[in-house]
Amino acid sequence: MYDVIVIGAGSVGSSTARELSKYKLKTLVLERGHDICSGASKANTGMIHAGYDPLPGTNEAKFNAPGNRLMYKLCDELDVPYQKSGTTIFATDDSGMEELRKLKRFAVENNVEAEIIPYPDLLEKQPDMGSEVKAILWVPEGGVTNPFSVTFALAENAYVNGVEFRLDSEVTGIDRADRMDSGQRSAFPDGANFVVHTKDDAIACRMIVNCAGLYSDVINNMVSDEEFKIIPRFGAHVILDRKLSSKLTTTLMETPHDLPGGGHTKGMAIAPSVGGTMLLGCDATEVKDPDTTEWTMPSVQQIIDYFKKAWPILPLAKECPEFPEDQIIAVFGGCRPHADTNDFVIGEPDDAPGFVNAGGTESPAFASSPAIGEYVAHICIDRLAAEKKDDFNPYRKGKKIFRTMTDDEKQQAISEDPDYARIVCRCEMVTEAEIRDAIRRPLGARSVAGVKLRTRAGMGRCQGGFCSPRVVEILCEELGLNPLEVTQCGGNSQILAAPACSLKAEKEA
Amino acid sequence: MNITKETDLLIIGGGAAGMSTAVSAYENGIRDILILERNNSLGGVLRQCIHNGFGLHRFKEDLTGVEFAQRYIDKIKEYKIPYMLECFVIDLSDDKVVTCVNPSEGLMKIKAKAIILAMGCRERTRNNILIPGVRGAGILTAGTAQRYLNLEGYIPGRSVVIVGSGDIGLIMARQFVLEGVEVKAVVEIMPYSGGLPRNMKQCIEDFGIPVYYNSSVTKISGRERVNSVEVCRLDENRRPIPETAMKIDCDTVMISAGLIPENELTEQAGIEMSSSTKGAAVDECNMTSVPGIFSCGNVLHVHDLVDFVAEEAEETAEYAASYILGNMDVSYSGTIEVLNGEGAGPVVPCRINRNIRAESANLMFRPRNKYRDAVITVKLGSRILAEQKSIALTPGEMCRISVAGDKLSGAAGPLVVSVTGTINN
Repeated sequence: MYDVIVIGAGSVGSSTARELSKYKLKTLVLERGHDICSGASKANTGMIHAGYDPLPGTNEAKFNAPGNRLMYKLCDELDVPYQKSGTTIFATDDSGMEELRKLKRFAVENNVEAEIIPYPDLLEKQPDMGSEVKAILWVPEGGVTNPFSVTFALAENAYVNGVEFRLDSEVTGIDRADRMDSGQRSAFPDGANFVVHTKDDAIACRMIVNCAGLYSDVINNMVSDEEFKIIPRFGAHVILDRKLSSKLTTTLMETPHDLPGGGHTKGMAIAPSVGGTMLLGCDATEVKDPDTTEWTMPSVQQIIDYFKKAWPILPLAKECPEFPEDQIIAVFGGCRPHADTNDFVIGEPDDAPGFVNAGGTESPAFASSPAIGEYVAHICIDRLAAEKKDDFNPYRKGKKIFRTMTDDEKQQAISEDPDYARIVCRCEMVTEAEIRDAIRRPLGARSVAGVKLRTRAGMGRCQGGFCSPRVVEILCEELGLNPLEVTQCGGNSQILAAPACSLKAEKEA
Repeated sequence: MNITKETDLLIIGGGAAGMSTAVSAYENGIRDILILERNNSLGGVLRQCIHNGFGLHRFKEDLTGVEFAQRYIDKIKEYKIPYMLECFVIDLSDDKVVTCVNPSEGLMKIKAKAIILAMGCRERTRNNILIPGVRGAGILTAGTAQRYLNLEGYIPGRSVVIVGSGDIGLIMARQFVLEGVEVKAVVEIMPYSGGLPRNMKQCIEDFGIPVYYNSSVTKISGRERVNSVEVCRLDENRRPIPETAMKIDCDTVMISAGLIPENELTEQAGIEMSSSTKGAAVDECNMTSVPGIFSCGNVLHVHDLVDFVAEEAEETAEYAASYILGNMDVSYSGTIEVLNGEGAGPVVPCRINRNIRAESANLMFRPRNKYRDAVITVKLGSRILAEQKSIALTPGEMCRISVAGDKLSGAAGPLVVSVTGTINN
């Protein structure tokens, strides 16, 4: 029997698991996907929002700013790269100015440093900003990291500290001991409050933390009558190649505003990524299927059109006068778990003691995740009166990234491991040493996408055209697979269909 | 870090262009040559081209890509021209120093008297051409499909829709049919094929594969793997007409929508780029804005036939050799700009030195349309310097026209290349 079962291995679940791993608890994480970080945490800009904009008094406001501070600490402990490059929200008209003042008021209430700087004083912070910008809200605590790296590192560190993980393990039902008749309850192990069902197993535990993101409503509604509903909100991002990336020194966002066709947007943003590319986006469209990755031309065109228009006032225009449409190397999209409560759903419902929600985790949940994880883990830790471990290891060492090494470091790395000189992904300069490490690590990659998210192999301008055949080979070598078994991202996503000549033979026979 | 090695001629890339420059440079008297190749064998993309049609111009023989490459590999071995495999170039600087890595040599900085850029090109992806829809397995470029099939020995899907009608896609369509893969359709955004007419005939028409011109894939559907695409006809502004949407079931979408020269190193070195060709801005010797750095093959501009890549590379190597041997007049007296006029795509070279170093300037470009009874003209002001008639032209095939050097000497320019004729799209 487990003390705690965490449902979901995204950023919130992994952060919860890592916090639990500091204590003497038997913890299991159940993940529906083929890999850690396979839901909303994967389709995410990686912005470490400072917490200036959530409506004061909400859970979003409560967890965002503390999460932001903890995120930098976590990144240091877990050797995950980040840039604390600030967030710059720019206003170009009176209604934008009004929004800046509102955001500034929220920031003060949320205890987040933020400063309105009018033109031309703002040029000290953003020397190349266009004169059409009336003022900026400068938020120094904002930053960017890689949401996959953070999530993998948290899960890996939790695992190393004793948390168990089961992948491909969708929760299909939850039994509550207190809702069983005495006969049924006798089947529960002593002290068990829940039995969690997956397609293969029935697993007993004392407490549950629901970190199921886009399915957090489904999980909650299995246990509690205090129901809520997730409305998946799809957003697309456009990625630009790394050519201009050194010129983007901060995340730039337009002011929030109403949309002409109805609805409201936090504003378009252009964010540097720690990998060196740039992310543009994003829009929000309510959809039915939480798992969809389908992006449509109107939503992407909206992003492109916005940046075509806004480009001249952005600092990047100095280097490149027009929006570089030919630098678009990828478009991706995914859903954010917006709850119909319009806020994160955090804590135990009144009618379900022992069941702790960390749901409705739409933006800024990634930035908030370290604080949410800490909070919900401590509900369990306190309830179970768990003791701290003496041997918890808060540190994790990442594999050194070849692309960002100095010449001397490159020379040294190659002399220690010649695989560092074998460049597999040419666009992102990812070496065989990094790819093998990503597979060999605890909770390592098992698919082409798993390698991609851990190493950036395939994230560059050719989008895996050159490297994926080699990545397939390396996966086969490391995991003892046949190439036909290698998948894009688990399930029925095999990369290859059949050996050469076999289909013809099949048809003739 | 200090320079670890010096050489007369450094060639970046060991594909068709790189190998032919090496052989030609050797034959022009250069002995201190080094080819850097990132793969574990020479040959570049030719290694996976097991179809024929190579060498008809260059060798007057019908060879496979593999055989074509082998001709050059044999010469390189015969001449004992050094090459380094698994060598990845990290940086190129305008003082002609290349930083590269190799598993046995580690990090190297190699200084050269002359450098030839022969990095080739990459394929446009689904994202470059913004095809909406899902992610998921089963979306790949034609070159990657070709590599899986011909080098790894695996078929990537059972039923495929091909986006674009570039040559690799057409070749793969035929190979897929022969492998028992169902080729559902070729969807081409333009009113004509982007590939060679012979490939359209031999790979598509002969196998009865449907081709949808003026159409595009407007949605890729599926979950873990692709299960269908939506195809729409386009209006005169190339926008999809929703009423024409048609669903085609398939498990694979193969993109064959053109190639992009791989000029990241060129740009890192601060070499001037041509805004029209997207390759380096070169003169009639294929020399870039940095004296002693040359560019040729598909990294300079995307060719139709490897025979012409080899030919261009061989000429480039002659100039590089003469630069290294000090026989090239490098004094600068201005350039004549070369522009593409009506009916002509971007032209290589984009400038010609006023004191032209060649007997003639060879101009290469693609026509903008399919033409019947076409005339290609090269004009300097109102003066026609060269004229060439052709029964038919197509964007899938390059046009080449040369202008005698003596006609250009001292001219101010610009030189304008244009195509007239009956448009036959």
